[in-house]
Amino acid sequence: MGYNALRLLKEGLTGNKGWQPVWRDPAPKDAYDIVIIGGGGHGLATAYYLAREHGLRNVAVLEKGYLGGGNVGRNTTIVRANYAMPGNSEFYSHSLKLWEGLERELNYNVMHSQRGLIDLFHSDDQRDAYVRGGNAMINQGDDAVLLDRDEVRDRLPYLDFDNARFPIHGALLHPRGGTARHDAVAWGYARAADRRGVDLIQQCEVTGIDVEGGKVQGVTTTRGVIRARKVAIVTAGRSGQVAAMAGLRLPVESHVLQAFVTEGLKPIIDHVVIFGMGHFYISQSDKGGLVFGGDLDGYASYAQRGNLPTAEHVMEAAMALMPVVGQARVLRSWGGIMDMTPDGSPIIDRTGIEGLYLDCGWCYGGFKATPASGFALAHLLATDRPHDTAARFRLDRFRDGVGLMDEEGTGAQHKLH
Amino acid sequence: MRLTCPLCGERDLREFSYTGDAVLCERPAPEAGPEAWDAYLHLRENPAGVARDLWHHGAGCSAWLVVTRDTVTHAVIAVALADAP
Amino acid sequence: MVRLVARTAAGGALPQTIGGLTLAEHLPEAITAVMPFDGQEGAVSDDMGMPFPAPGRTSEADGALAIWAGRHLALVLGAPPRSSHGAISDQSDAWAVFDLTGPGGAEALARLCPVDTRAAQFPPGHTARSLLGHVHASITRLKDDRLRIMVPRSMAHTAIHDLTRAMGHALRSQSAG
Ligand SMILES: Cc1cc2nc3c(=O)[nH]c(=O)nc-3n(C[C@H](O)[C@H](O)[C@H](O)COP(=O)(O)OP(=O)(O)OC[C@H]3O[C@@H](n4cnc5c(N)ncnc54)[C@H](O)[C@@H]3O)c2cc1C
Ligand SMILES: [Zn+2]
Repeated sequence: MGYNALRLLKEGLTGNKGWQPVWRDPAPKDAYDIVIIGGGGHGLATAYYLAREHGLRNVAVLEKGYLGGGNVGRNTTIVRANYAMPGNSEFYSHSLKLWEGLERELNYNVMHSQRGLIDLFHSDDQRDAYVRGGNAMINQGDDAVLLDRDEVRDRLPYLDFDNARFPIHGALLHPRGGTARHDAVAWGYARAADRRGVDLIQQCEVTGIDVEGGKVQGVTTTRGVIRARKVAIVTAGRSGQVAAMAGLRLPVESHVLQAFVTEGLKPIIDHVVIFGMGHFYISQSDKGGLVFGGDLDGYASYAQRGNLPTAEHVMEAAMALMPVVGQARVLRSWGGIMDMTPDGSPIIDRTGIEGLYLDCGWCYGGFKATPASGFALAHLLATDRPHDTAARFRLDRFRDGVGLMDEEGTGAQHKLH
Repeated sequence: MRLTCPLCGERDLREFSYTGDAVLCERPAPEAGPEAWDAYLHLRENPAGVARDLWHHGAGCSAWLVVTRDTVTHAVIAVALADAP
Repeated sequence: MVRLVARTAAGGALPQTIGGLTLAEHLPEAITAVMPFDGQEGAVSDDMGMPFPAPGRTSEADGALAIWAGRHLALVLGAPPRSSHGAISDQSDAWAVFDLTGPGGAEALARLCPVDTRAAQFPPGHTARSLLGHVHASITRLKDDRLRIMVPRSMAHTAIHDLTRAMGHALRSQSAG
């Protein structure tokens, strides 16, 4: 079905009765070649690339709630490729390239907007670190521009440049960074995967993973047993719970991350602005709301809501950075469950169980990873070899200590990344 | 979420910081081997429900606490000094 | 030899009176941290000439005030105690000590501190380690109308700023209410 202005006008005038569902609602079959647990961004992207890149269509995505009801519809939509460590660097670079072709590829408007991401620094030492980070991005083939204080002021005149604690010395601009409409990404991949024959099965919670003789046989769900040769766990914050169904213990701890949005305002923030020292970042949605957030609440949680001290911290950081924001009224706040790993980097790998695969550990940065994660997991599922861009996302790197990707050097604590 | 410190009484969350699962109280012997250290440092039960974790009352009495709480509801079930017998 | 001039933590910024509340600097003879060795609280109490304070409480003798200040830790304000049964360290210059005197001190503090310090639940002789804004603090009720607030000396002027602002806000909401 096409979306266009004429159609919109016609439907608007006739009670919007002509719209049809854009993907099927199939009953689960008895067996599939591949079952993907989790209908978030990563699960849907994996299904799409399995069909498109590898011609594998006997695939089901099992989602316990509704498509896009998890973190893919709860995040603050930042898409960037400004990582510095080998492993992350090439992976997120690949992801951004996939983003840049995504709307044409899916024929779906995901509102990907490369409005530029501005990451502020406040001291000479921090400038050195950002220069190094920028060089790493350029070496990777991506873009980075060092802005001095006046160049930041040209772009973001509303910031408090002379804050006593964190005066703004400059910033690293990542021109290709930006945002996208989060649930449109889920919908776009869902429609495209469905059209290629993948079964998207909602209201279908996996309650058991059936393993015999070290080999996966399928899954037990609230809609019956489904056999499969290969099963992939793509359940973000719930990864530990689902992996436990197969007797696995993961290097993952689930934490809550909050986000906030104000009432709609006239355009004021043209970029994504990151105030790392205040654990704060902000952008403006196309509807006009200021979308902002901070750090994890900092304790293990499965409640999709946080507590007030963190909300207060975020508001204080907002006021310190851009006092003008005090005029805006906060409309909503919410939380999502983050699968935090000990080095803050993800896992895309096989497990000790034949036919069981894992895609998790996205911490609070997995939205931007959606295309490349789906691409790499599809490759792994189809060929049993890791894709080059994700070869370092090994599950056992924590045990042997080889190839850890701790971007901030904060150490082996799940909550510190 | 408020925690009742055994020394200070019921206090606001902002006075505490969380460190991780209370397995951190059971450090393996140095020569216990990579499996034991991997389990101690990285692998987590990560329960959705009752969990035991380690907190520090940094803005209060400085005691280390083991908190038993529900990770789904944020209900706090018990708070004990980490070195209580 | 250079003659150094001693400056107090508040350095002349106090006292300040706002409405019925006065914030003043208190200058004890010394501030001494006392940490009894394992199981030695009794022996330390004997040496101090007063009981080592229980959690959240103070004790007093001969003009010295012992404030419980954390696990196994008391701060003695007054003549320095001596004991071989604990770790004793002079912290006289490490703290800024303020007294907030007058009616409604707890209401002003409520704007900064997450502990309820009203006299009904926090009577004289009670003390708490908590926060004053973002600053770690020790808060003690000395009398019905007097609270003693201690912060690390480097935070003295932050605390004075925060406290006087809170006193002003409390006054305004009092007159409005
Ligand atoms: C507040 C917030 C802000 C964020 N901001 C950003 C950002 O700016 N940029 C960025 O890159 N990332 C961001 N993230 C992170 C990003 O949203 C996640 O890393 C990413 O969405 C996780 O992958 P997903 O989309 O597949 O997860 P989800 O959408 O959570 O998908 C997992 C799915 O698995 C399903 N599931 C779980 N258990 C079962 C089961 N037993 N059976 C069947 N289905 C099951 C869930 O219902 C869910 O739909 C943010 C996250 C939050 C919460
Ligand atoms: Zn305490």
